[in-house]
Amino acid sequence: MQTAQIEKNGTFRKGWWLVLLVVAAVVAPFVISEFYLAILGEALIMSLLALSFNLLFGYMGQLSFGQAAFYGLSGYTVAMLITKAHFNFWLSLLAGIFMAIVLGLLIGYFCVRLRGIYFSILTLAFGQLIFFVIYKWHNFTGGDDGIQGVFPPELLKSPVHYYFFILVVFVAATLILRRIVNSPFGYTLKSMRENSERTEFLGVNIGRYQLIAFVIAAAYAGLAGVLWAPFYRSMAPSSLMWIKSGEPVMAAILGGPSLFFGPVLGMFIMTFFHAWVLGFTVFWPVVMGALILIVIFFLPGGILGFSQEKLKERRERVQGTLEQGNVGMTGDQ
Amino acid sequence: MFLQTQAVTKDFGKLRAVNKVSLEILKGDVHAIIGPNGAGKSTFFNLITGYHRTTSGKVLFKGREITHLPAYRRCKLGITRSFQITSIYPKLTVYESVLMALLSHRKVTHHLFSSAKKFFNEDVWRILEDIGLADQADRLGDSISHGDKKRLELAVTVGTEPELLLLDEPTCGMSPEETEMTMGLINKLSQERGLTILFTEHDMGVVFGIAKRISVLHQGALIADGPPQEVRESPEVQKVYLGGAA
Repeated sequence: MQTAQIEKNGTFRKGWWLVLLVVAAVVAPFVISEFYLAILGEALIMSLLALSFNLLFGYMGQLSFGQAAFYGLSGYTVAMLITKAHFNFWLSLLAGIFMAIVLGLLIGYFCVRLRGIYFSILTLAFGQLIFFVIYKWHNFTGGDDGIQGVFPPELLKSPVHYYFFILVVFVAATLILRRIVNSPFGYTLKSMRENSERTEFLGVNIGRYQLIAFVIAAAYAGLAGVLWAPFYRSMAPSSLMWIKSGEPVMAAILGGPSLFFGPVLGMFIMTFFHAWVLGFTVFWPVVMGALILIVIFFLPGGILGFSQEKLKERRERVQGTLEQGNVGMTGDQ
Repeated sequence: MFLQTQAVTKDFGKLRAVNKVSLEILKGDVHAIIGPNGAGKSTFFNLITGYHRTTSGKVLFKGREITHLPAYRRCKLGITRSFQITSIYPKLTVYESVLMALLSHRKVTHHLFSSAKKFFNEDVWRILEDIGLADQADRLGDSISHGDKKRLELAVTVGTEPELLLLDEPTCGMSPEETEMTMGLINKLSQERGLTILFTEHDMGVVFGIAKRISVLHQGALIADGPPQEVRESPEVQKVYLGGAA
């Protein structure tokens, strides 16, 4: 009874924070400069990429080093459909996500047979393969020139409008993904991360579930990609490079892969820090490296993971003293 | 016919770990497989669960050949094992671990948008209470005692609602009290849930205490098979055990 109450309070408090953050995000365009609004939009889009990565890493226990392939391919799909085929904007977005899903099925089919470092290397290899195809195929994709002039429809041309479009998609996608990780399917992923052999002996076809998770992650990376192309008005081949795939990895480590919003926090810190640091120096990777080192050495579990751990310890201590003080009472605190 | 092996053989390179073992396990029995170290008990187990593939011979479950089915398919048919080296989920709670077993067995793992916590609440608690883990429900798998881990392993196994339960050294590393408790538990499971239990064990006290039938393996071959009394008096078994130990 008592634990149930505490749990309820806990989720209530957590929900409160989320509502507060969403309100802040809605108010933001009227408070911050256009420059920082663009950074905020970028952080939201990239957070979807981080969530995509962390479904595989934090929940399933497999480190993908190729998420940029899905992100880039879907972005390119949108960019090319809009600029070359003058396709309907909304249908282009759907086509982009569809391409990410197809690529996810294809790459996933090969990757989910592997575990650990072999999985990471194969996702990296596939990612680089897609990158080189787009980079070298100059006639079709524009090669290293990329694609420019990817304009959203009139309604979304203003930065504030496009920002709200991103926000709505982000909130909806996040809510859906959170349901997924707390569903029986999500539990199955977690159990595979903890001990996949045991899960197989519970009667689960490991390969199939890994593939489904891989495809969902690909769809989320694709969602980030289709939002990005019209947001940035262009697509460059560097969006498919392994360096791009590394960003969600760093975001997850920074924020904490064990918590749903850890990678989102990590991505926000990275994006804003990046924008801020570039005002002083171009040696951004050095600063980022130092930040990662600090987190790994002093905040194991990531910023959010570490603080959650400390909070829990404190709550347990408080609860311990409460229980000691209330021996014999019916616990109506 | 419940479970039957027909001359199953397993070679690891040139080593013949299991040599033409033909055995029948009857429904509802508590059946022990014993033998000295390296006799092939674990390998024989693995051939039944599908962890290893047979080199030759057949495995039949309820009249159906399962020799070539992968482990997860056999599990769905009702054959479940627990592991000798406790194989738990370190960072899932005791409750979540048992829940996972039920989610899988009752085929809801593909549900993407419903909350896992809403499933099978009562059944999870019943299993935890049966096994005596209810008070540990919220603790993480790697934070409980060794004996509790063994019991958690058993609880997860029971969660798959098997017909045939294979236990590999269920009392390995347990104190005498814990061993006693586990034996009671095995008896309870067999009687109350009607499980057929096949287990390996090195503790002869446990074996003769609860097994209704005993099979003895020696160097991969079956050398005796029958009720405890008969096996105990078999000259060959005495030669293997007493000759080896003395």
